[in-house]
Amino acid sequence: MGDQVTRKPELAELQFHPARRKAANAVQTLVCLGLVVLAVLLLSLLFGRSGERIAVQMCVNVAAVVALGVFCGNSGIVSFGHGAFMLIGAYLSGILTMPAGLQRTALPMLPDFLAGHELGVWVAMPIVALAGLVFAAATGSAIARLVGASATIATLGLLIITHGVAIGAREITRGSQTFFGVPRITDLGVALGAAVFLIIVARLYRESRWGLSIRAVRDDPSAAIALGINPRRSRFIAWCLSGTMLTLVGALYGHMLGAFSPASFYLPLVFAHVAMMIVGGMYSVSGAVTGVVVITVLQDTIRQAEGGFDLFGVTFPAVFGLTTVALGVAILLIIWLRPQGLVGREELGPGSSSRMFNTIRSGTKRAAAPSIVGDGVLSAEHLFKSFAGVAAVSDVSFKAPTGAVTGLIGPNGAGKSTVVNLLTRAYEADKGAARFENADLLKISREGIARQGVARTFQNLRLFGQLTAYENVLVAAFASGQGAQGAAQIAIRELAAFDLDDMAGTAAESLPYGARKRLEIARCLAQAPSIILLDEPAAGMNPAETEDLADRLSRLGGERGVGMLLIDHDLRFVNRLSSRIVVMNRGQVICEGTPEEIRADPAVIEAYIGRGRTAATAQAAQNQEDEPSRGVVET
Amino acid sequence: MKMRISLLAAASVIALGTSASADDYVVGVMSAQSGYLAPYDQPSYAGFKYCIDKINENGGLNGSIPVKTIVKDTRSDIAEGVKVVQEMIDEGAQFIVASADADPTIAAAQITAADGIPTMTFAGTAPVLTQVGEHVFGSYPADNQQAAVLADYAYGEGLRKVYLVKSPDAAYTLGGPEYFGEAFTALGGEVVGESLYSLNQPDFSAIVTTIKASDPQPDVIVTWAWEPDFPAFIKALRGAGVQTPVMGGDVLDTPTVRGLGEAVDGVIHTSGGYPNEGSKYATFMEEFEAATGTTPDNNYYVNGCDIAHMIEQAVDAAGSTDPAAVSAALAEIEDGEGIMSNFTFKGTDRMPLREVVIAKINADGSKEFIKRELADLDTLPKP
Repeated sequence: MGDQVTRKPELAELQFHPARRKAANAVQTLVCLGLVVLAVLLLSLLFGRSGERIAVQMCVNVAAVVALGVFCGNSGIVSFGHGAFMLIGAYLSGILTMPAGLQRTALPMLPDFLAGHELGVWVAMPIVALAGLVFAAATGSAIARLVGASATIATLGLLIITHGVAIGAREITRGSQTFFGVPRITDLGVALGAAVFLIIVARLYRESRWGLSIRAVRDDPSAAIALGINPRRSRFIAWCLSGTMLTLVGALYGHMLGAFSPASFYLPLVFAHVAMMIVGGMYSVSGAVTGVVVITVLQDTIRQAEGGFDLFGVTFPAVFGLTTVALGVAILLIIWLRPQGLVGREELGPGSSSRMFNTIRSGTKRAAAPSIVGDGVLSAEHLFKSFAGVAAVSDVSFKAPTGAVTGLIGPNGAGKSTVVNLLTRAYEADKGAARFENADLLKISREGIARQGVARTFQNLRLFGQLTAYENVLVAAFASGQGAQGAAQIAIRELAAFDLDDMAGTAAESLPYGARKRLEIARCLAQAPSIILLDEPAAGMNPAETEDLADRLSRLGGERGVGMLLIDHDLRFVNRLSSRIVVMNRGQVICEGTPEEIRADPAVIEAYIGRGRTAATAQAAQNQEDEPSRGVVET
Repeated sequence: MKMRISLLAAASVIALGTSASADDYVVGVMSAQSGYLAPYDQPSYAGFKYCIDKINENGGLNGSIPVKTIVKDTRSDIAEGVKVVQEMIDEGAQFIVASADADPTIAAAQITAADGIPTMTFAGTAPVLTQVGEHVFGSYPADNQQAAVLADYAYGEGLRKVYLVKSPDAAYTLGGPEYFGEAFTALGGEVVGESLYSLNQPDFSAIVTTIKASDPQPDVIVTWAWEPDFPAFIKALRGAGVQTPVMGGDVLDTPTVRGLGEAVDGVIHTSGGYPNEGSKYATFMEEFEAATGTTPDNNYYVNGCDIAHMIEQAVDAAGSTDPAAVSAALAEIEDGEGIMSNFTFKGTDRMPLREVVIAKINADGSKEFIKRELADLDTLPKP
């Protein structure tokens, strides 16, 4: 690479990235907090007491939508179930804090263990949070198994069931009748404090290892699993945190209303919160905050005008229902013009590559090169796999040792990627075994493969699009069990090794194609694997890029002793790197040997060129392959 | 409709544009202009506004205390309701008229409790709503009064076995039939079966089958179902050939239910009032229609108007506008003069004792007056 020299200063720049990222995260949190505080100040200063009332309601909504976003935003699953948590929080806190005398008349049939506590609100809060956590864990064990629309429908089911149970549990909730006598303690201080607290929790979670993990699962579940991230556990953690937060918000909401019924936590409330979240932008905390602030300001401004007003001597009549109309129009416009919400996919505020953080000079050391991988062999033993009766892989056996590159080639449809998918449990093999060291890869869990030291890349790039390049590598290091410090150092090492240093703060989806390909390899190397299954790493690269990649891979193999199973159509590329090559055709291994042996094998020639060609044609084809231009064999 | 909007406009412009003078009596009105409460709050407010305006034309309450109203939309949202009640108190409200349901009324009453500001629901009928405090009042005959009068009528007609169809989803749809069952059993009748339905349940065939198979067969079916559940239920019931008489609550007093033809022929329901010829109610209807162009086609208009009279009589009896004095005076009113019917708060738990009307729907869509009766306070089912 000719520009190696000019890149040197940037390499140094990379070591500041973790500190810059931290600073950027802190600033982004401050932006969220600033938005809320500013809105509260404006409301209170401009509208006095009635502004304060609006601000209280707004802060409670901010807390609710931010808590909702902890699950929805990070997992990408829209949930309607949060009304259930709010209901539980409101009723439980109400029962625990209600004056005993009032409780005897309002809830005469209350079970003894709930009755007569008359706790202070702040004493009740931990109990409420704990109840929320228990309920979240119980429901999360089922809901975390689901993705997409089925998860959303399950959350809706949770809401409906909880609503029904609340109506049925008349001894505790008074059924559909109004539940009253709840101390009204949610004033502006409490509501703002709660909003600030929950925003900080949500932001810390989002940028933590658990937040990164679930966002990785959201962006690409298959890639996350290949890194050893358990999607269910990630979703479960997000659900539990979100549920616990929402239970607290429900308590606050209950203490704001003073009287409510199960209907107060049902679809109208839930839809209002989801609408706010979608208007602001579901994927970020600042989106949640923005959505609530914008909709509150919009609604309450229009509400003032709703009763009719005089403007420059013209009397406008009262038209009630304007707020609802305006809200509907706003949602329509946003879905049309900005489908990702007002804020978009990223947090408001400067990113880690902003010039604002140029003065940060707190460096993180690059991790030392990992120790040389010891001897080991990945072996496929008599693997079979059919799809709807068509044999994709049939009795495939081969070995790929560490410390060497094993090529796996074959025409399109030969079953190469299927083999990789069988070895990493993306598909279940019909028969056969796959071993690495002493582990039977087909017997352990899918996300356990990575922990055995077997990593992979994907034929069609699978990066975590909304995470930055640095975060892509970082989350992989976390998943391999590194602590915060170690993970940051490793991320720097791998980004530097793949010349991604100046793109550390760029979202993976915005990287150029070549950089994305390199990032995918850097990401799996962050886990210090023993062997990597590279599924067409050079596909789509130009010759110079391919050459560069080959240099890097051979250097890696030399430095770290990582074994590689290399699949590619570019035979020149495979030939250059591999010490042994396995050739597949129509689901079977047809030949195995050194590159020289493979080139001379008639079965290989037949598979690639077709039957009936003369030896001379085959020789010509091979000569062409040896030419410096490019020898891609396409069938 | 247009007239109603301009009425509201007038009210709101006054509310926005003028501040209360020291002599005004400030009444805050929570009125849902959209959402599930709008069908009750809108006519209630229109009637209330009409009569408050008339009172103001004559110099105010008892000719001397002008009323200033602050009206705010709650969109049927309880959190919004809490907010507007606080705003209205900030703006000096001395009396709060709350939306026509228990939830918002109780939420409002808990806020007004601090200053003891009298709080009256537009048309909430759940008898529990006054349990919040001494300052909370109903205005419409409560569910237990309606149920007791209906039970008395049914028993008087020789009916002895009742089948109850109720929904736990709302206090009204659950409470009405339960109060009926209680009163009916106390009279010597028997509840022979019960079915539960969900609000907006599209299909009642399972319940109809259960009723058909019920042994012993009921003499009467009682439900407090409203629209669209009641039409779905009655059509399924009559469609299955069950001709058992059906009785229901005051929600059946609507043109859409009466328009169901043969299916509702003979359905008996309660009501808060009936404009018998030459009655004050009939006069009110004529005057209201002449003044506003809107036909008051339900009782909420006249009940809204009666709230204005309740306030006037309470302020008169209290001799001051002090919230505690007004609350106390209101609670002592006995046989106060109203247009829909007279009202008695004394001796009740502040859900006024008012005459309940029993009416019958005919196949041609007409409503037939049967009787009006006061519930007996001593035998009234307890909330």
